[in-house]
Amino acid sequence: MSGTVVDFSRFSYRYPGAAAPSLRDVDLRVADGEFVVLAGRSAAGKSTLLRAACGLVPHFHGGEAAGSASVCGLDLSENGPAELHGAVGLVAQDPETQVVAATVRGELELPLEIAGEPAASRARAVEEASLALGIAHLLGRSTQTLSGGELQRVALASALVGRPRLVLLDEPTSQLDPVAGDELIGLLRRLNEEWGTTIILAEHRLERCLAAADRVVAMAEGRIAFDGEPAAYLDWALDSDAALATPLARLFDGAGMRPAPVSVKVARARLAGASSGSPASADLVAHSASNSALARKGEGEALRVKRLWVELDHGEGPHEVIRDLSLRIEPGEVVALMGRNGAGKSTLLRGIAGLADARKGKADAPAGWALVPQAPGDLLVREQVGDELPGPEGQAALAAVGLAGAVDADPRDLSGGERQRLALAIAMAGRAEGAMPGLICLDEPTRGMDTARKHELAGRLADLARMGSAVLVATHDVEFAATFAERVVLMGEGEVLADGTAEEILSGGWYFATEVARALGAGGPITPERGAELLRERAAAGER
Amino acid sequence: MIAALTYVPRRTPMGRAGALAASAYLGAFVAVAFAFSHPVVLAADALAVVLAGLLAGTGRALAVSARFALWLGVLMIVTNAIASQRGETVLVRGPDLPVLGTVDVTAEAIAEGGILALRVAIVIAAFAVFTAAVDPDRVLRLLRPIARRSALTATLVVRLVPLAAADHARLRDGAALRGPAAAPVSRSSLVRRLVAGSLDRSVDAAAALELRGYAGTAPGRARKLPRSPVDAGFWFAAAAVWGLAAVCVGAGAVTYESYPGIELGLDPLGVALVLALPALAAIPHLVGGARR
Repeated sequence: MSGTVVDFSRFSYRYPGAAAPSLRDVDLRVADGEFVVLAGRSAAGKSTLLRAACGLVPHFHGGEAAGSASVCGLDLSENGPAELHGAVGLVAQDPETQVVAATVRGELELPLEIAGEPAASRARAVEEASLALGIAHLLGRSTQTLSGGELQRVALASALVGRPRLVLLDEPTSQLDPVAGDELIGLLRRLNEEWGTTIILAEHRLERCLAAADRVVAMAEGRIAFDGEPAAYLDWALDSDAALATPLARLFDGAGMRPAPVSVKVARARLAGASSGSPASADLVAHSASNSALARKGEGEALRVKRLWVELDHGEGPHEVIRDLSLRIEPGEVVALMGRNGAGKSTLLRGIAGLADARKGKADAPAGWALVPQAPGDLLVREQVGDELPGPEGQAALAAVGLAGAVDADPRDLSGGERQRLALAIAMAGRAEGAMPGLICLDEPTRGMDTARKHELAGRLADLARMGSAVLVATHDVEFAATFAERVVLMGEGEVLADGTAEEILSGGWYFATEVARALGAGGPITPERGAELLRERAAAGER
Repeated sequence: MIAALTYVPRRTPMGRAGALAASAYLGAFVAVAFAFSHPVVLAADALAVVLAGLLAGTGRALAVSARFALWLGVLMIVTNAIASQRGETVLVRGPDLPVLGTVDVTAEAIAEGGILALRVAIVIAAFAVFTAAVDPDRVLRLLRPIARRSALTATLVVRLVPLAAADHARLRDGAALRGPAAAPVSRSSLVRRLVAGSLDRSVDAAAALELRGYAGTAPGRARKLPRSPVDAGFWFAAAAVWGLAAVCVGAGAVTYESYPGIELGLDPLGVALVLALPALAAIPHLVGGARR
């Protein structure tokens, strides 16, 4: 089948009661079989555009729409999600609300059953979708017992099982570890190439998906700011908003090597061509071993975990999630806790906070702890910031996160970053002698965050460490970890697999390595800035 | 931690049984609770439901329902004792109140309250076992061709209950994570926050159903699920309980009156019902377990 799948012409949309439109004069045409990546900062209109492409906007959400829009040949002014459901699949940001059946098999069968598919074809489609997504072993499980990553794959399988012509995905890798995230992008590319499925993927972590894309559409303030090929997009992003560029693009830009490469493969070829040897040489490694956590040893303890065992029961009998884990963190250390989905990162943090009971061993934070959970909103229950944190200690906590001036604000009116800071202040308040507890933990703080906000958060974590707190952050985001962490603890199966400096852990590997480290091909530089500095030094040395 | 009432696929015979067979089986014990007021029959019926729940692997759901039923039962007994002024055996001669008059507490009113409480406890326990052991997708699949809109509403509710339970667990954790100097979280503010969040959740879940085509095309024919080999045991038990109960009602084999004085009657057929209820509750599990 060929032709236009999505055809928007001067399409604008405003949510009910919203002050400003979320989409403004959008002109977009997507051809059958294209793989389009939707880029842009948070609140740029990406999710709304996806919701429009599946008919939820305006048919389900209401509001005012103007202009014309058609999807798979159906005019959206007359056709809503019910009419589009066989042709369009959506994987939303939060898979928890997208999964509606009690079992995984039931979830995958539901759309087929509603469409009246015969039993044999349903069974085959469920089998194929579950095998393609690697969830065949989950078919008999209750959807209530799945982890976030598993739930996301089930939501994707459910969207794909009816083989829609167009698949829309809203940050599908936000809850996936690097391995699962790469696998998902590979799978989408395969669906696109082998089944001809048109893919529109909204994503902040462009380094994961740009190489797979045919085209990038960048949005800003509800408008389409750029529409073109991935290589041209990187040039545009570097010139107009560097936070929208990939780490690799920033590396090459910083080293004065434009145009920026789209993939690690192209980058390696360019780097190999630019010098006689690989840049992955000993001098790069030697330069990198700077801020080792080892130098800090003996300065006291912010966290002491000793031979900790934690069991959880998801209704199918208890199983060990943390196994004989020991860990020590010193005051002022900034540590990233990494590992694949289900490795035990969140459970370890919950164990530290006393939310998960230890079967054996213990976790102790002698100078106090604070934990901000994955959804900071879970800590916000009142209608004024000042009501959340009354009294001098509360005010001190607000001042520590830079929100002393927001006491009269409604937490719902704060930006995402401010809400996260408020949650941190609530978690910290009164935990220590001063305003700061000895250990501050954050669980997956970058879900749904754009790169600019991640940098802002990294700066804030560094500030907390400077004030004397140890910071422990559970994250799947390798690039984010590279910007803030001086030490990385890699977990697997409830155990510590590796524990070392960020430069040691986040380079030299296949998955738990930054894009820059993979391009440079050796242990050492992991951030674009450091990599660019070294490339410039190397170029200068070559000229001499 | 998964909420105790959440459905989890189980390898027990009831976990493997068809939704219709399991519904008929549990429904039979609920019917007995409504058909008879004799405390011995109700006690046997309660024992049967507890046995069914334990053999179905839903002990936690039973424990949760028992806690809830206990509080509700105490409330019902106290309310009936105060509100009902019938009965010959006055235990406490109460005060004269302006509107209610003399409030006496009688043994018969307490007994009647106890019967009501036991009946409600059986229904709650059976519902808990049903919720935890019977696949709601299968139940909704049965319902969908008959009552499409009701099935849609039920699907939404079935999905929202565990979502609300998960949200509640997270908010409770959030409350525990607040620093000592942060304002404490009252139960009312937690509930307010949960309700506000549930509205958003319900909109998202409804959107997901829309995208599955729930609102559009006519529902597909319910898939004819292969009959489970354990179904026969559950059908047999259901039929036997329904049949025996009908015979007992027809023959007047079980009688009970609370007022004006407590009168109990249980003839041999009634005794057979009392003995049969726990046995019939256990049979499909034992037969199904042996068949596996």
